[in-house]
Amino acid sequence: METDFERVVVIGYGKAAGEILKYIADRQADYGYLLEFIEHELHALSVTAQICEESGIPFSSVPDRRELGVYLKEIQEKTLIVSASNNYLFPASLVEKENIAIINFHNALLPDYPGRNAPSWVIYQGEKRTGITWHYVTVGVDEGNIIIQKSCEIGPDTKAYELAEQLMDLACEGFFECFDAVLSEKVETRPQAFSPERRMYRSTEIPGEGFLNLEEEPDKIYRLLRSVDYGKTGVFPPLQTVVDGKRAKILRYRKIAPEKKKEEADMLYLPLADGNLLKIKYTNMSDEVG
Amino acid sequence: MEEKVLEILEEYCEEALDYTGDNMMEEGVIDSFTVINIVSELEDVFDIEIDAKYVVAENFRNKESIMDLVKRLVDDE
Repeated sequence: METDFERVVVIGYGKAAGEILKYIADRQADYGYLLEFIEHELHALSVTAQICEESGIPFSSVPDRRELGVYLKEIQEKTLIVSASNNYLFPASLVEKENIAIINFHNALLPDYPGRNAPSWVIYQGEKRTGITWHYVTVGVDEGNIIIQKSCEIGPDTKAYELAEQLMDLACEGFFECFDAVLSEKVETRPQAFSPERRMYRSTEIPGEGFLNLEEEPDKIYRLLRSVDYGKTGVFPPLQTVVDGKRAKILRYRKIAPEKKKEEADMLYLPLADGNLLKIKYTNMSDEVG
Repeated sequence: MEEKVLEILEEYCEEALDYTGDNMMEEGVIDSFTVINIVSELEDVFDIEIDAKYVVAENFRNKESIMDLVKRLVDDE
C-alpha cells in the first residue's frame, strides 16, 4: 500500500483519539509513515499517554496553543494531521501549507450543528437523529469538504455523555472506513451546503443559558438536564434555578417510576409525559432572588 | 455499604468485580464513560456529592478503591 504522506500526527483526547491512534499504529507497517501523538487538552481519565508508552509512539503534551501552532508549522514532510476530539483551531497559515492535510472528526452531521458541544445542542433541540462527520479542515470552522458521515438515533433518555460516547464509536468506525482513501488521496469528498440559518455554537454558550426554568414543561426541563450532563467533566457549570424564591444549584437528576418517589429535602418531582417522574436534587445558594 | 457498591459495579461494569489488579482504567476494564455512570449511581444511592476532584483514575483503581472513596464521602456527610 502506498502513500505520499511521510508522517501522521494525531491530536485529540478521549476514547476516539485512543482507538484511532491504536489503529493508525497498527497500520504503520502497511505504509511506513512516522507516527506521533500530541496531547493538547488534558483529561483526568485520559489513556492516550499509556497507549503511546505501550506502542512506542512518540508522545508530547503541548497545552499552549501558540507553541502547538509553531510546532506544527515547522513540519517539513508531507503530513496528515488527524484531529480526533480536539478543540484546537488550526490557524490559516497551517491549514494552507501545501505539505499539510488535516482531517477532523466533528460530532454532528455537518453542515448542521457546527462548533462546540454539538451533542448537547442536538439533545436540547429535541433532535431524533445525529451523527458524526469526518471532513477536511479549511480556514472556516467545520466548513471543509465531507469525507464520510455516520448517523445514529438519539433516545428519549440519552444524556450528553452517552451520546458523546456513541458518537466516538461512530467516529472510529468512519475513520477505519476512510483511512486508506485519505492516505492515498482518493477520497470522493462532497462540499457542505450551507443554509442561511446556519449558526456556529460557541464554547461559551450553554443550553438554556444555564438556567432551569421550573415553569417550563417537564419534558423540556429533562432535555435541558440531559443536554448538559457530562458527569463530572465540567464541560458546563451546574444548572441553576429558583426554588421558592431562592436561587438553587442543580446537583443531580434522574427519571424514576412514580412508586419510587420518596419525600426528601431539596428534592423536586416533576411529571413526565411518559408517566414517570423527573427527580431533581438541588441545593440552595445563599442569595434570595429579588 | 459494600454490598450496594458491588451491586452498582455489577450493573455498570461486571468485570470490575473479578478484577484483582491495581489500575482498571489503564488495563481497559473500565472507561471514562462507565466511571460517569458509576459516579452518578453512587451519588443517587448514597445521597452524596462526588466532587470532580475525586473522579480521577486513582479512586477507580479497583473495587476496593471505589469503596474507600464512598466510605470517606459518606463519613464526611
